[in-house]
Amino acid sequence: MLVPLSVVLVFAIGACFWWATAHGQFDDLEGPAHRVVADDDAH
Amino acid sequence: MRIADAAAAAGLVTPLPGGRREVALLLEGIRCAACTWLIETWLARQPGVREASVNFATRRACVRFAEHETDLATILRAIGVIGYRAHPYDRQRRETLVRRESLALLRRMALALLGMMQVMMFAAPAYLSGDGVDAASRSLMNWASLIITVPVVFYSATPFLAGAWRDIRRLHRPGMDVPIALGIVAAFAASAWSTIRGAGPLYFDSVTMFVALVLAARWLELRLREKAGDVLEANTPDMPATAERLAGYPQAPVSTTVAAHDLAPGDIVRIAAGATVPADGEVVEGRSSVEEALLTGESWPLTKAAHDRLMAGSVNRESPLVMRVSRTGAATTLGAIGRLVEQAAAERPRIARLADRAASLFVAVLLAIAAIAALAWWRIEPDRALAIAVAILVVSCPCALSLATPAAMASAAGALARRGVLFVRADAMEALSRVTHVVLDKTGTLTTGRVRLLDVESVAGVDRDRCLSLAAALEQGSTHPIARALVASTTNACTAGQVVALQGFGVEGTIDGERYRLGCVAWVAALRGEEAAEARGDAGQIVVALGDTRRQLAILRFGDRLRDSAPRFVAALRDAGLQVAILSGDRAANVASAATAVGVADWRADATPEDKRSFVAALQRRGGVVAMIGDGINDAPSLARADVSIAQGEAAAFTQWNADVIVVGDDLGAAAFALAAARRTFRLIRQNLGWALVYNLLAIPLAATGHLSPLLAAAGMSASSLIVVANAWRLSRLAPSRPPARAPFSIAPTPAP
Repeated sequence: MLVPLSVVLVFAIGACFWWATAHGQFDDLEGPAHRVVADDDAH
Repeated sequence: MRIADAAAAAGLVTPLPGGRREVALLLEGIRCAACTWLIETWLARQPGVREASVNFATRRACVRFAEHETDLATILRAIGVIGYRAHPYDRQRRETLVRRESLALLRRMALALLGMMQVMMFAAPAYLSGDGVDAASRSLMNWASLIITVPVVFYSATPFLAGAWRDIRRLHRPGMDVPIALGIVAAFAASAWSTIRGAGPLYFDSVTMFVALVLAARWLELRLREKAGDVLEANTPDMPATAERLAGYPQAPVSTTVAAHDLAPGDIVRIAAGATVPADGEVVEGRSSVEEALLTGESWPLTKAAHDRLMAGSVNRESPLVMRVSRTGAATTLGAIGRLVEQAAAERPRIARLADRAASLFVAVLLAIAAIAALAWWRIEPDRALAIAVAILVVSCPCALSLATPAAMASAAGALARRGVLFVRADAMEALSRVTHVVLDKTGTLTTGRVRLLDVESVAGVDRDRCLSLAAALEQGSTHPIARALVASTTNACTAGQVVALQGFGVEGTIDGERYRLGCVAWVAALRGEEAAEARGDAGQIVVALGDTRRQLAILRFGDRLRDSAPRFVAALRDAGLQVAILSGDRAANVASAATAVGVADWRADATPEDKRSFVAALQRRGGVVAMIGDGINDAPSLARADVSIAQGEAAAFTQWNADVIVVGDDLGAAAFALAAARRTFRLIRQNLGWALVYNLLAIPLAATGHLSPLLAAAGMSASSLIVVANAWRLSRLAPSRPPARAPFSIAPTPAP
């Protein structure tokens, strides 16, 4: 019973990741890390 | 044909002498070093194509072809035939392309990794307890593995399958994807058949793991490559985007803003003060000082009046100019320089070409070995024949062999570009790693080649600092290099009123009710009604006087100065075991003092360009590998003669046609860093090649004799690939000890909340 469930789960996780990439979550893997230390004078 | 026309219009196709043309293309679908080799070979085979080179880091292809035998559209089609796509090159497009490719790869990799984890879990019980699992649940787990492996093979692994198909169908030559694809397909087909039959060997775990690891290696590699490419792009000089065209000049000029590439020879253009000259041409009206530092290395702004030549990319400093355009776009000097840098980046170093050739031979031998081993085992133990053939295909790693050089070069080039070191010739890094002698030029290399305030001699007993702040006040608003040197050397300038600048003489202004003049000695003396002879300084010095209505206050000297980094630079070279010599065309006294200051015993003064050349040649005859560091122009013969030539300067270096390496900026440390980095890079490349060779020599016999399961083989292959890339990656961390002048990555502006 757990075996088919895990197969379904794999595809569900895959779909989630797909959604994330399609919505730009992985577009810039470096900028945000530097943005923390960047001075933002606008605020 | 439409693309071809558009490309011609945008100046992407450059006419060369002899009816030849050159075009820059952006390639889509380059995955591995082998692809660049493939495209180059394929293009070279097309009729009419004379030369083709592909840059692995920027995906830029540079194709030269004969105008009458072929055209751009045919070339684009030829590239399409072998499964890549080519577009006329532009930076914007490169960025979107990179983003799309890396996203697709990320998705494939993520799916494969996920599949790998799950299939491993299903396989674990069978490994751990062997026959302890009952047949029903084992069959269930096998089917589950099959279901998960299907998308991994048919989605994640498509790049390999497509690549292998293309290699076989189009080129009748096995490329790097062939053994990978064969291994995947054979193992998958065998496992699927066993699952359906309910008995037989299963390799789902090996297949998923193999795909996941190879994709992970490629993704990492792509990111490394992009970083190197980005830095290269960011350092190419830029032309202004727009220009102000004057229609109906000179009767009734009407000004319109047009795109710079729409300008045509003969157009009349107005250049505002502070603006960049958009095209090559000639001044027709106005008088101003123009800084051509970027182009000629001449830091001195030159006065330009009617009939003087103007070059695109130089900056108009003082007042508006009207010019007649003679050459535009890629035909300008700046355009030619840009192309030169790009071209060099597209060249492949000798060692990489060698490795590529070895790798493609390797694949052919490998397929033969796999076939022989499979046949041999078929006779001995038919059950294991397939497993062994798959293990051989999978364990061998031609990629490690052909990745070794480009991976290391790309990451080293990236790290170096961040410090302003650009390689113009692909083989330069190799030559640089073997250097034994370093010959330095004095002016512009050991010295800054730029105007600085040397000293302030107070004449009338007025405090030195006071004189300096008076002078700085007068020059406050000016962009003249003397003014900038003055303003930079004091922090407490007072304010001057009624400042009037008289071109060629100096400035006059009122400070605290007193009138002051700063400029030529005679002109300053004229303010107090006296006459004075012009003062002369040492060679290369400029003498300026400061005076008021009653007396002369001070004499200021401006001139060149030894770079702060020079002594440390020479010491670093010496520590690296290199022989250092100074060659200069300057007078003996000046050269001697500079040589003593940096601690070099071996120096020559009053050297003509020919003297310099023969000096370098003499060193070479004694077996030395010579690196020449100079500022270009009058060092040209010796730079060309040296094994590696390095041009150091204020971005000026782009015109140093003879230089192999360009060091942009003031810091001589960067040149020393380049030497050290080249040595390390080549040590690492040799390490990588050695490792790839040893790995393959050990792994293939092991696999052929049946000591490696396909699972272990998959792990070994991916590990060997990753080790090569990771080893190369260490180079990109070559410690840029100072913060980069220009961030190598772009930080997107934070959207307003």
